[in-house]
Amino acid sequence: MTRDRKPPAINNAVPTQASRTKLNRRKFLAKTGGVLAAGAFGAVPLRGWAADPINIGALYPTTGSMAQIGTGCVAAAKLAVDMVNEAGGIKSLGSAKLNLIVSDVQSDTTVTRTETDRLISGNKLSAIHGCYASALTLIASEVCERAHVPIITGSSSDQLNKGRSYTFTPFARASQFAKAQLQMAKLVSDQAKVAVIFENTAFGTSTSNGLKELAPGEGVEIVMFEPYSAGFTDASPLINKVKASGANTLFSLSYLNDLILIVRTVKQVGLDIAINGGSGGFVMPDFYKNVGKAAEGLQGVAHWNHDVNEDAQKVNAEFKKRTGEFAFEYAGGLVAQTFMLADALERAASADPKKVREALSTLDVSSGYAAMAPGGKVKFGPDGKNVYGRPVGVQWQNADLASIFPKEDARAPLMKT
Amino acid sequence: MWETLAQAVINGLLIGGIYALVSIGVTLIFGVVKIVNFAQGEFVMIGMYISFFLATQFGIDPLVSLVVSMPVLFLAGVLIQHFLIRRVLGPNDMPQIFLTFALSLLLLNLSLMLFSANYRTVHTFYSDEAWHIGGLYIPVAKLIAFAVAMALSGLLWVFLHTTDLGRAMRAASQNRDVAMLMGINPNRVFAVAFGTALALAGAAGSLLMPFYSAYPFVGQVFVLMAFVAVVMGTLGNVMGALVASLMMGIAESLGIQFVGADSGLIVVFGLLLLTLAFRPSGLGARRGR
Repeated sequence: MTRDRKPPAINNAVPTQASRTKLNRRKFLAKTGGVLAAGAFGAVPLRGWAADPINIGALYPTTGSMAQIGTGCVAAAKLAVDMVNEAGGIKSLGSAKLNLIVSDVQSDTTVTRTETDRLISGNKLSAIHGCYASALTLIASEVCERAHVPIITGSSSDQLNKGRSYTFTPFARASQFAKAQLQMAKLVSDQAKVAVIFENTAFGTSTSNGLKELAPGEGVEIVMFEPYSAGFTDASPLINKVKASGANTLFSLSYLNDLILIVRTVKQVGLDIAINGGSGGFVMPDFYKNVGKAAEGLQGVAHWNHDVNEDAQKVNAEFKKRTGEFAFEYAGGLVAQTFMLADALERAASADPKKVREALSTLDVSSGYAAMAPGGKVKFGPDGKNVYGRPVGVQWQNADLASIFPKEDARAPLMKT
Repeated sequence: MWETLAQAVINGLLIGGIYALVSIGVTLIFGVVKIVNFAQGEFVMIGMYISFFLATQFGIDPLVSLVVSMPVLFLAGVLIQHFLIRRVLGPNDMPQIFLTFALSLLLLNLSLMLFSANYRTVHTFYSDEAWHIGGLYIPVAKLIAFAVAMALSGLLWVFLHTTDLGRAMRAASQNRDVAMLMGINPNRVFAVAFGTALALAGAAGSLLMPFYSAYPFVGQVFVLMAFVAVVMGTLGNVMGALVASLMMGIAESLGIQFVGADSGLIVVFGLLLLTLAFRPSGLGARRGR
C-alpha cells in the first residue's frame, strides 16, 4: 500500500502549533490508519491480525527543477515496494508489507530539511531513502543522523561518507567516477589526449580539478583545460578551441542545455573526437530524446545500468511497462536499495530503525535484486560505503545505454564513432 | 591562424543575427513608445514554445511556423500596448518599468508552471548539418536564421522609410509631441510599434528553435546581449542596433576564441565601455549632437 502525503501548509508557518498538531496527528493516524488498513485487508476487524506494515520514507523532488527525475524515482520506489510485497513481504515480521510514504522535497535544500524532519516525526519509520541530488541528500542525511533513522541513497557525493553512521551508500562515489572516466579515455586511444571543458561553477570547477589531479596517475594527458560561462548562446568558438588542441577525447562537465549545444556543434564541425559526458543528466532517457542520433556513440559513467545482470533487465522491463522509459541509473539503483532494506529488515526481525541500521551495517549480499549493481556485491564499510561499489562506463548505442567498461561489467563492445 | 580567426568571425556574425532581431525590437519600442521592454526576452521564449509545439504536435518545421509565431506575437503586442502599456504612459517612468518587469516575471513563472523547466529541442533534417568550405564550416540552421533575420530587418527598414505608417513611427520616434501636433495618432503608432517589436521577438524564437533548446529562462540569455546592443547602437536607432548586435556577436566569439571560454561577455562589455567613453550616445548617433 502506498500513500502520498500532502501535509497542511500551516505546519510550515507556526512551529509551536506544528508540534501540537503533530501529537494530535499521530493519534489521529493511529486510529484512522487502523480503520483504513482494515478496509484494505478485506475488513478484518482487529488490528494485529495482519502484520503491521513497515513504513519506508521516500524523499524525492517531485516538484521544482528536478521534478521530472524525482517523479521517475518515486515510480521506481513504488515498483520496488510492490516487488517486495508480492514476494511475500518481510517473513520474519509475519509477512509484513512495506508501506512507502513519499514526501516532496521540492528540489530545495530548506524544504528538504523541514520535510525530512516532518517525515520522521510524523511517522513511525524503519528507514528512509532519497533524495537523488547530493545537495539535498546531504541535508536529509544530517537530519536522519540526529533522529537515528537509517537512510540509504544513490547520491554520489563523497561528503555523505564523512562523520555519519546512519547513511549507507551502496553505489560508486563521485571520486570513483572521475577515475573511471579517465580510464575510459584509454579505450579510445593508447595515447589519450583529453580536452576538459567545464562550466565555471562549483560543480564544474571541483569535478574538473579532480580529473586534473588523477590524470597523470592514469597515464592520461590533458591537452586543454578550459572553463566556460554556463548558459552560452553558441558553442562554436569553444569547439573551435577543442579542435585546435588536437585532443582525441572530450570531457564536457556541463548541464544538459550546454551539453546538447556542444554535442551538436561537434557534429557540425565534423570533429573526430570521443565525447564523455560524465553522469547525471547525460545518462537519462531525456538526453537522447533531446540530442537524437547525434548522441550515438557518446560515452558516460553511471552507478547502475539496466543491462548489468538478468535481475536488472527484469526490473528494466517492468519499469518500462509502467513509465514508458528505460530504468535510469537512479531508478534501478533504488529498486536494489529497497531490496537491501528488505534484507536488513528480514535479518533484524524488527521494524525499529536502530535495529535496521545494525542489520544494514552487516549486510553482505552477492545475489538477488539487492546485489544488482556493478560489481554484483554489496557490503558496507564503517563509513557506510559499499566496499565493492564501482561505477560502470556506458555508451549510447541504438537509443539505449550499453555498459562498455570495465571489462567485467561490459555487456556490449565499444562502438567506434 | 587566419582560419581560426575567420571561423570565429563567421560564428559571431551568425549568432549576431539573432541578437539583432531581439535588440531591434527593444530599440523600436524604446524609440517610438519611449519605454524599456524588460519582457522582450520572454517573448522570444514564447516564440520558441510556439514553434516547438507546432513542430511536435503537427510536424510543422520551425522555420515555417514563423508565419504563426509572428502574427500571434504581433497581436499580443497590440493587445498589451492597448490594455497595459497605454495606461501607464505619462511623465513618470516608474510604473512603466515595473509594468514590463512584472510582465517578464509573470511570463517566466507562468511558463515554468505550464511547460516545466525541461529543455525542449526540435530536430530538423538540417539541424546538425553544416557546409564545409576549405577548413571552414557554416552550420546550415544558423545560416538560415541569419539570412531570415537580415531579410526581416531589411523589410522593417523599407517599411519605416516608404510607408506612411512607417514614417509616422519614425516621426514619433524623433519627436513625439511634434508628431502628434502633425496629426499622427499616437495610439495606433504605438500599437503597431509594440506589435512589430514582439513579432520580431517571435521570429527570433522560431529561427532559434532548430538549433537551440527552449526553456523558460531562455529569453534571459538573449535579452542581455540585446540591451547591450541597444545602448551601443544608440537608443531608438534601428540600424544602430543591427550593426551593434552583429559586432557583439563577433566580439563575444573572438573573446571566447582568443581570451578564454569564460571571457566572451568580458570582451562584449569592454567594447560597450569603450564605445560609451568615446561616443557616449552610441554608434548610431549623428555627429554633432
